[in-house]
Amino acid sequence: MASCTIHTAPYSCSISRPAAKAFSLGFHQRHQQLIFFSSGRRSAVVCSAEKTVVIGLAADSGCGKSTFMRRLTSVFGGAAEPPRGGNPDSNTLISDTTTVICLDDYHSLDRTGRKEKGVTALDPRANDFDLMYEQVKAIKDGVAVEKPIYNHVTGLLDPPELIKPPKILVIEGLHPMYDSRVRDLLDFSIYLDISNEVKFAWKIQRDMAERGHSLESIKASIEARKPDFDAYIDPQKQYADAVIEVLPTQLIPDDDEGKVLRVRLIMKEGVKRFAPIYLFDEGSTISWIPCGRKLTCSYPGIKFFYGPETYFSNEVSVVEMDGKFDRLDELIYVESHLSNLSTKFYGEVTQQMLKHSDFPGSNNGTGLFQTIVGLKIRDLYEQIVAERAAASAAAAKV
Amino acid sequence: MAATSFPGAVKGLVSAKARLSEPLRGGSRSLLVLYPRRGGMALVASATPLELSEKVAESIKNAEETCAGDAASGECAAAWDEVEELSAAASHARDKLKANSDPLDNYCNDNPETDECRTYDD
Repeated sequence: MASCTIHTAPYSCSISRPAAKAFSLGFHQRHQQLIFFSSGRRSAVVCSAEKTVVIGLAADSGCGKSTFMRRLTSVFGGAAEPPRGGNPDSNTLISDTTTVICLDDYHSLDRTGRKEKGVTALDPRANDFDLMYEQVKAIKDGVAVEKPIYNHVTGLLDPPELIKPPKILVIEGLHPMYDSRVRDLLDFSIYLDISNEVKFAWKIQRDMAERGHSLESIKASIEARKPDFDAYIDPQKQYADAVIEVLPTQLIPDDDEGKVLRVRLIMKEGVKRFAPIYLFDEGSTISWIPCGRKLTCSYPGIKFFYGPETYFSNEVSVVEMDGKFDRLDELIYVESHLSNLSTKFYGEVTQQMLKHSDFPGSNNGTGLFQTIVGLKIRDLYEQIVAERAAASAAAAKV
Repeated sequence: MAATSFPGAVKGLVSAKARLSEPLRGGSRSLLVLYPRRGGMALVASATPLELSEKVAESIKNAEETCAGDAASGECAAAWDEVEELSAAASHARDKLKANSDPLDNYCNDNPETDECRTYDD
């Protein structure tokens, strides 16, 4: 939100802004407009500084390197990379417009500390929410911060790294929406909800190559974390503006490989600057199988569903895809029937999916909905920028 | 299968990016990457870096011991949480190794405008 204050005396807008130095270094990550004029007796000072747009992403899959993040930063353009010249075990990713920080960096207890106290990383007692709130607020206000680094390899808290306020800040981790103060700073929030069966299938694929792991150890690990997960992480989904729910497919009976997935995009109604996508007719209930005379699909095919629902006593719209894409024309066919996608040109969703066809989920609803959410966030960001431009133009006329 | 180099390869040539893991026991899978090296080709096993792999195995053993005592305790949950954290780190390290294994890819990521790296999308 742009803050404009009008004073009646000549007054220079003073904001402690170390980030202002970044402006002169050539980083065009921040724009700072200072309009100072005095006409007659009335002096008006307008400070329209662009506040960082903050997006929260709740996910259990580790930080920064996740597929969702890479798709998101790709929509904005440019590849996101770890900060150059810094700690090689940093979890932060920086691209031209976006900085992604990992909330694990706000652990108050390192691995040894957690072991001693007998708490998991999921437990709020292992995280410093005061510091998280302070720093996210500072970045949002345009002040650079020294953020701690949690080293996942050593399990220790490393010396801090400097984070300069970007245009878009994404906070990713286990607790972006846990603390109400942090929640209020978020312009948009997403929760990635992987069902237990799919989680199990994915972890098997990830860990079976690892010496020491067995089916039992993977199962035990998931089971042991479940109580804390259900108590602290899962409740955050009621606060999310968008939830991507990943479930086992209903098209193949007894599928336990997790290769074909049923993915639901649950979008909250009434969120500012966010218009949910829909199929054919907004507000109605649609069941759609695109495969037929115009489009031939291979087994098990694709099934779509769209409709209004209630989710934790919120009004939501749900678009659901079950199945997988095998060919380019299936993807473009589906895209052409979805509405409110906030694409800039016809086929943009397909193009983004193709760009990252090697990413996991590129042939099913996870990739599709992650890409679409990325486009919605881009749209949200552009709306905010347009609003600010209009506000400062209007104020300048005064 | 230990790391081997074909005849003609310079002995002792180890790339900073390639990690040589100890002989892999049956049941663990890893990626075999063919590396162009001066004098020949080197076959390198691209598995999880050794130290991380050992940490994971150790943490699993530790978790099993801790939970044998009291399965519902905080210590048991914390131990398995550590296993999860290390497994995730190992998986990321594997991906990183895979991503870093092609020197041309690395060069082109940093210098996309050079002749070798230009792509033409028609």
